[in-house]
Amino acid sequence: MKKTVSIILALVMVLSLGAVAFAAEPASVEGMTVAFIPKVTGNAFFEVANQGAQEFAEDWGITVEYMGDATASAAAQVAVINQAVASGVDAICISTVDAAGVSDALQEARAAGVVVTTWDSDALVADRDLMVSQGTPEVLGQMLVDLAVAGLEDRGVDPAADEVNYCWHYSQATVTDQNSWQVEGEKIIAENYPNWTNVEPDNYYSEQDAEKSITVGEAVLDAHPDIDLIICNDSTALPGQLQAAENKGLTKDDVTITGFATPNAIKGYCTNGTLFNWGLWDCKIQGALGCYVAAYLAAGNEVTVGDTISVPGIGDVEVMANDCLNPDDETADVNNGVVLLPERAVFNAENMDNYDF
Amino acid sequence: MSVIKKVLKAREVSSFCFLVALFLIVGVINPSFLKAENVTACFNTSVVYTLIAVGMAFAIFTGEIDVSVGSNLGFVAAVVGTMIQNGQNWFLAFGVGLVIGVIVGLINGWGVAVMKVPSLIFTLGTNGILRGLMYLTVGVQQVNQLPKSFKDISSMTLIGNFSIYYCCAVLLTIVIHILLTRTRKGRYFIAVGDNAGGADLVGIPATATKIWAYVICGVMAALGGIIFASRIGIVTSLSGNGYEMKAVAACVLGGISLSGGVGTVIGAAIGAVIMASISYLLVFMGFSSNYDNAITGVILMTIVVADALLQKRAAVKNRRARLAARTEKVTKEAAE
Amino acid sequence: MKKLFKGPNAGWNSFLVLLLVLEFVVFGSANPKFLRIPLLMTASNDFISICIISIFVTMVMITGGIDIQVSSIVGLTSIIIGVAWQDFGLNIWAAVALAVFCAALCGALSGFFVAYCGVQAMVVTLGGSFLYSGLALLVSSLSSTEAYKGISGFPDAFKAISKTKVFGVVPMQIIIFLLLAVFAWFLLHRTKYGRKIYLVGVNQTAAEYSGINSRLIIMSTYILAAVSAAVAGVVMTAYLGTSKSDIGGNLTMNIITACVLGGTLSTGGKGSILGTALASIAIGLLRFGMPLCFKINTQYLDIPIGVLLVVVVVGRALVNMPSVQAKLGKLRPKKEKAGS
Repeated sequence: MKKTVSIILALVMVLSLGAVAFAAEPASVEGMTVAFIPKVTGNAFFEVANQGAQEFAEDWGITVEYMGDATASAAAQVAVINQAVASGVDAICISTVDAAGVSDALQEARAAGVVVTTWDSDALVADRDLMVSQGTPEVLGQMLVDLAVAGLEDRGVDPAADEVNYCWHYSQATVTDQNSWQVEGEKIIAENYPNWTNVEPDNYYSEQDAEKSITVGEAVLDAHPDIDLIICNDSTALPGQLQAAENKGLTKDDVTITGFATPNAIKGYCTNGTLFNWGLWDCKIQGALGCYVAAYLAAGNEVTVGDTISVPGIGDVEVMANDCLNPDDETADVNNGVVLLPERAVFNAENMDNYDF
Repeated sequence: MSVIKKVLKAREVSSFCFLVALFLIVGVINPSFLKAENVTACFNTSVVYTLIAVGMAFAIFTGEIDVSVGSNLGFVAAVVGTMIQNGQNWFLAFGVGLVIGVIVGLINGWGVAVMKVPSLIFTLGTNGILRGLMYLTVGVQQVNQLPKSFKDISSMTLIGNFSIYYCCAVLLTIVIHILLTRTRKGRYFIAVGDNAGGADLVGIPATATKIWAYVICGVMAALGGIIFASRIGIVTSLSGNGYEMKAVAACVLGGISLSGGVGTVIGAAIGAVIMASISYLLVFMGFSSNYDNAITGVILMTIVVADALLQKRAAVKNRRARLAARTEKVTKEAAE
Repeated sequence: MKKLFKGPNAGWNSFLVLLLVLEFVVFGSANPKFLRIPLLMTASNDFISICIISIFVTMVMITGGIDIQVSSIVGLTSIIIGVAWQDFGLNIWAAVALAVFCAALCGALSGFFVAYCGVQAMVVTLGGSFLYSGLALLVSSLSSTEAYKGISGFPDAFKAISKTKVFGVVPMQIIIFLLLAVFAWFLLHRTKYGRKIYLVGVNQTAAEYSGINSRLIIMSTYILAAVSAAVAGVVMTAYLGTSKSDIGGNLTMNIITACVLGGTLSTGGKGSILGTALASIAIGLLRFGMPLCFKINTQYLDIPIGVLLVVVVVGRALVNMPSVQAKLGKLRPKKEKAGS
C-alpha cells in the first residue's frame, strides 16, 4: 500500500511537470484513498453527501474517509486538512468554509503531492484541481427566486404586478455560500421585481439552532402579518420556519415559504400543505462525483478543459473552464477546471417521494 | 404589609418586572407587538429552556453546576426521536429517554457529591462524552421522519394561546416550587447550597441531596429533549449544543445565585422566558439578528452587576442597622 | 506557608510528562508518521491557541475565578485587525495594537465586574462570551467586505508571524508560545505579583488584610487572559490569512480542560504554568494523534477528551482524599459499581 502510494505520488509529480504523456486508457482509480471534508459535520446536507460518496466508493474500489469538524470555522477545517495530509491520503475533496482561510493549507497539501478537488463550496481556483459545482451563486440565487415565484403563482399572486413583502431567513451572516446566494437573489429581485419589498434587508438568522429557527420564524410571521414570502436558504431555517407557520395554522395559501433543504426533512410539511415547493441538488451524486474526480486525478490521469470523464454508475461529465463559475477566473493548462452537476432538483408534492435523502 | 414587602423583595418578582418592562419597551417601539398572541408566543417558545433551567436551578441551589444538560438533552432527543421514527411505542421511548436522564444525573451526582470533583469540571467531561455518544447515535442519518401525530402535539393549545407543552411546564414548575418550599426534604436543596457543612451538622444528608439535584436536573433535561424532538421534528448531531449556558443564564436572570442557596424555580422559569424571547423581540424591534448575542450579553451583565451592587448595599445597610441596634442596646443598658 | 509558594506540583507534573511520553509511545507505534518532527510542528499550529490562552486562564483560575469568554475575544481580535486594516486604512501593526488594546479593555470590563462588583466570574464571563462574540459580528458589519467573506490579503510582514520557521523547522507560533509560557512562569512563580495571585486565591479576605489590593490583582488576571486571547487571535489570523469574527470557534472547553488537567484547582489557590503548558500540549497531541493513528473522526474527539478529563479528575480525587475515603467507607462498593 505504502509503496503504491509513493509510486503514485512520484507519478503525479512527474505528470505535473508535464514530462510524460499518458496512454488513452485512463488509469484505474482502484485503491485510492480520498479524504472527504465537509464544511461541518452533523448537518444533513453533508451527511447525505458523505452517504452518497461511501455508496459509490464501494463499487469503484476507492476508500473515502469522511473527516470533518463539528465547528464550521476555517481554523477547525485547516486542522482537518492537515490531519488528512498527515494520514497520507491520495486526494482531498473539500467543501471549504472560507476559501481564503484554507488557502495556505490547501497549497501545502498540493505541495505534498495530494490532489485537491472541491465540491459545494469552492476554494480559490489556484488552490485546487477540479471543482464539482452545483452551479454558480447566480444560478442558485435565480433558483431560489424561481421557487418563490412558482409558490406565489400557485396561490394566485401575480409576482410581476402584485405587492409582495418578503424576507430572508437563514443561518448567519458569516456563512459563505448562503450569503452569496442571498446577495445574488437580491440582485435578481431588484432587477425583475421592483414591486417586491424586503421587510428586513439585514435578514433574519437562526444560527443553525433548531429552537431559534422556530422562535425567529414565529416572530417573523407575527411581526409582519402581511408577509407574502419567506426564503429560507438553510436546511435548519426552512423546517423551523415551516413549523412556525404550522403552529400558527398558516398554509401555502397564506404565505409562501421556500428554500433549500434535503427532501426527507421537508416531506412532512409538504404533505400537510404548508409549502408548495423547495429545492436542492442531488448532493449524494455531488459528493460521490467529487471523490471520483479526486481519485481519478490521483491515479495519474490528466484532464484538460473540454475532456470528458466517464464515471461508472453516474455517467459522462465534461470538464469546463473555471470562468464558467466566475468570469474573472483563469484556468491552468492541465488538471484545472469545473465539473457542473447535471441538474438541480425542485421538489413538490408530486415528485418528492422519488427522492430518499 | 410585611407580606407585600416580602413579595416585592423576592428576586423572581424583579425578574418578572424586568420581563414586563422588556415587553413594554418593545411595545413602545412597535405597538403591534402588544397583542395577546404575541406575548404568549414569547412564553410558548421558551418551553424547552424553561424545563432545563428549572432542572439547572436544582444543581445551582446546591452550589454546583451542570454543564452537561445541552448534550444530555440532545442525546435524549436523538434516542427518543430514533425510537419513535422506527415505530416503537411512544411511551417506551419516553421511558428510555427519562431513564437516560436519570443515569446521566446519577453519574454526575456520583462524581460531584461522592467523589467531590468540582462540578464544572466533571460535567464538562460528561458533556463531551454525551456529545460524542450523540454523534454515534445520530450518525449519518439524522432524525427527520417523526410521525405527524407526535409533532402536532406541539401546536395544540390548552388555555388561550398557551401551548399544551408550556402549560405542563408551568404546572410542573409550580408543583416543584411547592415541594421545594413547603416540604422538609425540599428545603434540603437550598440548605445544602447555603451551607453544606452546616447542613451536614444538622443532619441533612448533603451527599444524597446533591445526587438528587443532579438526577432531577438530568430528568428535566431529558424531558426537554423529548419536547425538543416533538417541537422541532428534526434532530441533528448538533441539537442542544450550547443550551447549558443558556440555562445557566436563565437561572441567573431569574435571580438565582450561582454560589448556591438562593433563588426559586419560578425565577428560573421567568429567566428562561427572558432568554428565549430576546430573538423573538428583536424581530419586532426591527433589529438585525446580528445584534442578538450582543444584546443578550448586555442584558445578562447589566442584570447580574446591578443585582450584585444592590445586594452589597443591602448587606452594608443590614450591618449598619445591626450595629445601630447593638449600640442602642448598649447605651440603653448603660443608661439603666 | 512556605509550602504554598513552592510553586509547581512536582508529582503532578511528572505524571503529565509521563502522559506525554505515553502519547508518543502509543501514537508513534500505531503510526510512525506521528514521530516525524516537521509533521508535529505543522500540527502544533492547530492547537497552539489552546496552549497560549490556557496558561493565562490558569492565573484567573488560581484567583478562584474562571474565564469562559476568551474564545469570543479571539474572534473579536481577528475581526478588529481586519476591519481596522482594510476599512479604516490603519497600518497593519497599528491594527494589531488596536485589537490587542480592545481585547484588554474587554478583559478589564469583565475583570472589573468580577473584582469590584463581586459578581460571580462564571456569570460575568458567560455574559462576556455573548457580548464579545456579538460585538465581533457588529464590527464585521462595519466593513465593506460582507461578514461571510472574511478579510484577507494581509501584507507578508504580518503573515510572517505564522510563516517564519526558526532553524527551518520550528514555527514562529511555538516560539511565541514558549516565550509567553516563560513569561507567565516567571510572573507567577518568581515575582511578588505571582505570590499575591496565589494568596488571593487561597483566601481573599486574608490577602486583603495583609495589605494586598486583591481586587486589582483579580482584575489584572482577566486582562492578562484577554490579552493572551488577543495574541492567539493575531496568530490565528496570520496563520489562516483571513480575518473573521467566528475564528475562535469553541476553544473554551479545551482551555478549561487544559487548565484542570494541568493541576489547577478550580476553587483557586493552586495551579502551575508548567502543568497547564504540559496538559495543553497533551490535549493538542491527543487531538492530532487520535485521528491520525486510530482513524477516529474529529467529531468524536469530544469522547476521548471527556473521558480523559473525567478519569483524571476522579483519579486525582481518589488519590488526594484518603481521609474522606475512610469516612465514606460505606459508600465505596456503590462507588466502584458506578465507576465501572
